[in-house]
Amino acid sequence: MSSLLIAENISKCFTIQKNRPFTLKDTIIQLLTGRYNRANKFWALHDVSLSLEQGRVLGIIGHNGAGKSTLLRLLCGLGSPTTGRIRRIRSFGSLLELGSGFHPDMTGRENLLTGGILCGLTKRQVKAVENEIIHFAELEEFIDQPTRTYSSGMYLRLAFATAIQFNPDFLIIDEVLAVGDSRFQQKCLDRLKAFRKAGKSLIFASHDLEQVRSLCNEVIVLEEGRVVMQGEPESAISCYHDLMRQRSEKRAKQIYNEAPSNITVEQGSRLGTQEAKISDVRLYDTNNRATNSIFSGGGITIELEYSFTKSLSDMALLLGIYSETNVKCFETHVLSTNAVFGPLIEHGSLSCHLPALPLLPGIYHINVGLFPTDWNYVYDYHWQMHPLHVLSKNEAVSYFSGIVSLCPVWSVLK
Amino acid sequence: MPNTRFNISTYYPDLIIHLVKRDFSLRYKGSTIGIFWSLLLPLSQLLVLVFLFGKVIPLKIDAYPAFVFSALLPWIWFSTCLNSSASLFLGNRDLLKKPSFPPFILIIVNTLSNLLSYLLFLPILIFILFLYSRHITPNLLFLPFLLLIQCILIVGLSMIIATMNVFYRDIQHIVGLGVVLLFYLTPVFYRAQSISESYKFVYTLNPVAVMIESYREIFFYGSPPMWSSLIIAMINSVVILIIGYFIYRRRLHHIYDLI
Repeated sequence: MSSLLIAENISKCFTIQKNRPFTLKDTIIQLLTGRYNRANKFWALHDVSLSLEQGRVLGIIGHNGAGKSTLLRLLCGLGSPTTGRIRRIRSFGSLLELGSGFHPDMTGRENLLTGGILCGLTKRQVKAVENEIIHFAELEEFIDQPTRTYSSGMYLRLAFATAIQFNPDFLIIDEVLAVGDSRFQQKCLDRLKAFRKAGKSLIFASHDLEQVRSLCNEVIVLEEGRVVMQGEPESAISCYHDLMRQRSEKRAKQIYNEAPSNITVEQGSRLGTQEAKISDVRLYDTNNRATNSIFSGGGITIELEYSFTKSLSDMALLLGIYSETNVKCFETHVLSTNAVFGPLIEHGSLSCHLPALPLLPGIYHINVGLFPTDWNYVYDYHWQMHPLHVLSKNEAVSYFSGIVSLCPVWSVLK
Repeated sequence: MPNTRFNISTYYPDLIIHLVKRDFSLRYKGSTIGIFWSLLLPLSQLLVLVFLFGKVIPLKIDAYPAFVFSALLPWIWFSTCLNSSASLFLGNRDLLKKPSFPPFILIIVNTLSNLLSYLLFLPILIFILFLYSRHITPNLLFLPFLLLIQCILIVGLSMIIATMNVFYRDIQHIVGLGVVLLFYLTPVFYRAQSISESYKFVYTLNPVAVMIESYREIFFYGSPPMWSSLIIAMINSVVILIIGYFIYRRRLHHIYDLI
């Protein structure tokens, strides 16, 4: 397998100077008055190394600002690394931005021609695939209108369809696969899968973990400009989730730095009059260890520490498990705590045990709430404040999607 | 799906031709009078100059309109290119973000597109020359050579301006001002012979002045251009091109950081 691209220990430093003079006049004034603002060095990338072999797909994931786009630009040759080297073969295609060379006053067809020529096709070649591109972008009716009349979705579809027609041996893509509705996204993904099947190579950066899971042979996780992990898609994705979780914890600590509150607010919101409060929510696995991640099919115990400020005779309790996209997986309510638990003391803990959660791997939220028994208003409701990470047990998870984890058994009927 | 390999010998010319065509059609797209509107610009300038220096402050030059117009047209090519070159890199970020696209193509496209405009106006110049019974001689055949020298000069200057404008945004205004001043310092609407000897050498250093004079030689006077000064102008232009290219290459990866 020959290496198509090798990046060795590349780092990239940007000098950021406050009030950098952007005109000659200001520069001269600064030189004369001797008033410099100290330039700050910002290292966007530290010591990143990677290599791509023929026929492999490499994914790059990381938080916003981790350096994915900077890395891809350097790999493409737009700018040079501050240290380190990049060696690449010549013929590669890139899709770093959509609509390069498009002019709003030109029609879709004319812009398509410009885009194609920019990619290296001759006019004749572009004309030959023109209809295919228009068909892929589903713009047959509008292709002869100026692109300033297009909606942003139409514009992006045309740009993507034009760019993807070009057939290089190796393509570098930066997060541009998130355009269009889900049907179009599926078409794009299928096109890239065909690309991979044809033995071509691909490097792409994405936030869509499903795409990364289904396309990549190998994934790199970037965090603050460093390669934190490089390996199998599944493990890279869980590493990414871990990092994201740590980030939000860090951020929550920054925000809630005053009184050490018992609740770690990861995100989400809390509403209610607080006449009754849920002061802490803890999760335990089946071995009674405090955790907020379990394996698919595992059990969980949810402990709620509550308190109420004035003497309330009774309250209602709500507990639900919602998916990342706010789909309700499960919800239950206790209509009257008196009826189930008997009269409750003012401070205490309740526990809820869910023996086996048949949930597919992903991030879920435990939403809990205390309400008056007539459900007229809210005492305390925690929405998306308590995440639960469900991890996979090493199965071929790409064959499953959705929420519920079932084990299909296939057989042939005689 | 067509398989492409980046063959520079066909990619660059194809791209340049396509972009020049596109630039041209964009200029006249959407306006009903189109091309005639753009003819109005040089013609109105001509009218003002003829009025001013024919009637108000008479310079007493025969066939003044033909005299001016033969120098005005190449000047317009020069000044339009220089003024538009400043925003070439900044205004085409999307093209620059395509790794296969070398930014200097934009400069060549800009120069050639304005050259095309110049060539379109030529018939009008010929017509005006006829009007004033000037002789059309075979010395006109030197035109391609003059065009070549001017192209080299314009491309060289444009590279410097376009590159530096990315870092210092007021270059655009400085160039605008410079071009206006240069117009008065170049014998477009007056005779270079009128200048006293002590200042003459300044003009031989100014490649634009030499070239404008040369255009006037072949069109208005119908005589061959002054070779000695033209060779100097050629050398100046090539030097400027080399300097421009050097500045462009050195600053190119900084430009990518700022884009």
